[in-house]
Amino acid sequence: MMKFKGNFLHRPMFRIRKQQGTLFTVPFMLSSLILVLIIGCCILAPSISPYSPTAQDLANSLSQPSSGHLLGTDKVGRDLLTRLFYGGRTTLLGALGVVAFSVMLGVPFGLFAGYYGGKIDAAIGRVCDVVLSFPSLLLAFIFVAGFGRGMNNAIVALGIVYVPMLTRLVRSLTLVEKNKTYVEAAQSIGYSDFRIMFRHILPNCVSTITVQITLDMAYAILDLAALSFLGLGVQPPTADWGAMLDEGRNFLLQTPLLALAPGGAIVVTVVVLNIMSDSIHQYLEPIQRKLPSFEKQERKLQKEGVS
Amino acid sequence: MLKYVVKRILQLIPIILAVSVLVFIMVRIAPSDPIASMTKGKQISIETRHSLEQQYHLDKTEPEQYFIWITNTLKGDFGDSFQHKQSVISLVAERLPTTLQLVLMSSLLAIFIAIPIGIISAVKMNSVVDRVLSMLTLVFVSSPVFLTGIVLMLLFALKIRVFPSFGTGNSFTENIYYLALPSIALSMNMVALISRITRSNMIEQLNANYATTAVAKGTPYWKVVLKHCLKNAIIPVITVTSIQVGSMIVGAVLVENVFALGGLGALLIEGIKSADYPVVQGITLMLVVMFLLINLIVDVTYALIDPRIRL
Repeated sequence: MMKFKGNFLHRPMFRIRKQQGTLFTVPFMLSSLILVLIIGCCILAPSISPYSPTAQDLANSLSQPSSGHLLGTDKVGRDLLTRLFYGGRTTLLGALGVVAFSVMLGVPFGLFAGYYGGKIDAAIGRVCDVVLSFPSLLLAFIFVAGFGRGMNNAIVALGIVYVPMLTRLVRSLTLVEKNKTYVEAAQSIGYSDFRIMFRHILPNCVSTITVQITLDMAYAILDLAALSFLGLGVQPPTADWGAMLDEGRNFLLQTPLLALAPGGAIVVTVVVLNIMSDSIHQYLEPIQRKLPSFEKQERKLQKEGVS
Repeated sequence: MLKYVVKRILQLIPIILAVSVLVFIMVRIAPSDPIASMTKGKQISIETRHSLEQQYHLDKTEPEQYFIWITNTLKGDFGDSFQHKQSVISLVAERLPTTLQLVLMSSLLAIFIAIPIGIISAVKMNSVVDRVLSMLTLVFVSSPVFLTGIVLMLLFALKIRVFPSFGTGNSFTENIYYLALPSIALSMNMVALISRITRSNMIEQLNANYATTAVAKGTPYWKVVLKHCLKNAIIPVITVTSIQVGSMIVGAVLVENVFALGGLGALLIEGIKSADYPVVQGITLMLVVMFLLINLIVDVTYALIDPRIRL
C-alpha cells in the first residue's frame, strides 16, 4: 500500500525525480521570487507604507510621482502605491477565494463522478453542461445579478463558474486511477469508498490538479478584475486592482500611472502565475518538455547519415 | 450526417431550457426592486404600482411568470424593457450590429495574425524569435482585455491622434475605422491563445514520424510544414478559436465599456445594475444560444471532416 507518512516532501508531487529533470528551472525560480515579493508587499502593506489606503488628502489630488508619493496620488489624494499594495490584498485574496471555492466543490464532484460512474456521473455531467453552455464571464454576470454586487458575491459567482472545468479534470483523472491495482487492493481490504477516493485516488491526482489551480488563479485574477472594472465586483472605496483601473482611466492624459500601475500589477502577477503553471506542467509531463527542434533533428539525422 | 445534426440539436433543447430557468431564477432573487427601475426611483402611488405590476405580470407567481416569459420567447417576443419602455428585440437590434462587427473584425484579425506567429515559433522552436514571440504572447494572454484597450487608447487615440477614442460611425465601412482600436484590443487575447495552441500542435506534428519521412523522401521543408503538418495541427486550433469567438462576445462587453461603444454588452450591464428583468433574461438567453450554436457548427464541421465522430 502506498502510504505517505513522515515527511511532507516525500509525497509524489514534491518528490524530485532525477531522470526527469528539475522543477526548479530559472523561469520558475524567478517567477516564484516575484510572486513572493508581490505577496510580501501586500501582506506587509501597513508596515511598508506610511499612508492609509482610504484617507483622503484633497490638497494633494492627482499629483505626479514624487519622493513623498512614489507613484503619485489619485483624484482624492490617496497614495497610489499604498493603494496598489492594499488592492493586491483584495485581488489576490479574492482570486484565492475563487479557487478555494471551486476546489471545494469541483474536486469531490469529480471524484464522485469518476469513481461511481452511472447515474451520479450523468447527473453531475448534465449540471456541468449547463454551466459550460455559458461563456464564463456571462454566467458570472448573471450570478452577480442574482446575489447582488460586491466582492464576496463576485467570488462565489466566479467560484461556481470554475467548478465544471475542475470537475471534468478530476473525473478524467479518477477514471484512469480507479482501474489501477492499488485501488483494487484497497477495495479488497475493505476500505470505504470515501477513504479510497480521498486518501488513495486524490493524492495521485494532486499534481495535475495543482497545474490547473495555478492557472485558475491567473484566470480568477483577470475575471475578478473584469467584474470590478464593470462595477459588479469590489465597490469603492475599497482598493482593488480592477476597480483602481476603472477609476484611473478617467485621468489617462494627466496621470496615466493611475490606470497603468494597477494594470501592470495585474499583468505581472498573471504572467508569473502562467509561467509557474507551465513549469509545473512541463515537469510533470516528460512529453511536453523541450524536445530538439525539427531542424536540429534533421541536422542530427544528416550527421548520422554522413558519419 | 443529418441524423447526427438532429441528435445534436435535440441535445441542446434541455440545456437551453435549464439555462432559461437558471437565468430566470437568478434575475429574480436579486434584492433590487424592478418597479424602481421603471419609474427611475420616483415616488409613486400604490395604485400606479399595482397597475405597473399587472402590466408586466409581476403580480403573478414565479412559475406563472416563467411560463408567460418562455412561451412569449418561443414566439419571438422577449417582452418590453422596464427601463427603456421598448421591446427587448428592438433594443437588441439597435446594438447588435456594433457588437457583431467588433467580434467579427477581431476574430479575423486574430486568426490572420496568430496562425503565422504560431507556425513561425514552432518552426524556429527555442530560437530567439520563438522566445520573443512566446514572451509577447504570454504578456498578451495575461493582459486583461480592458487594460489592452486602455493602453491602445492612450497611445493611438490620445497621444498620437490616429484613431477616435470612443463612439461609433454610421455605416459598416465607417465603423471599420471607429472599431479598429477596440477590435485590436479584443483580438490580442485571442492572438496569444491561438498562437500558443498552434505552436504546441505544430511542434507535435513536426516531430511526428510522417514529417520526418516526408523530409527524408525529399519534400521541400516549407511544403512539409504548410501542407502536411499544418493540416493535422489545425483541428485543435479551430476548437479553441470557436470557443474563443463565443467568449469574445462577452469580452466585447469590456471593450465596449472602455471605448463607450454602446453595444449589446453595455445594455446587459446596465440591465443587471437596474434590475431590468426582460433585458437581462433576453440578452443572456440570446448569447447562450449563440454560443451553443457556434459550438454546434464547429462539431458538425468536424463530423464532416472526420467520419469517426459521427458514430
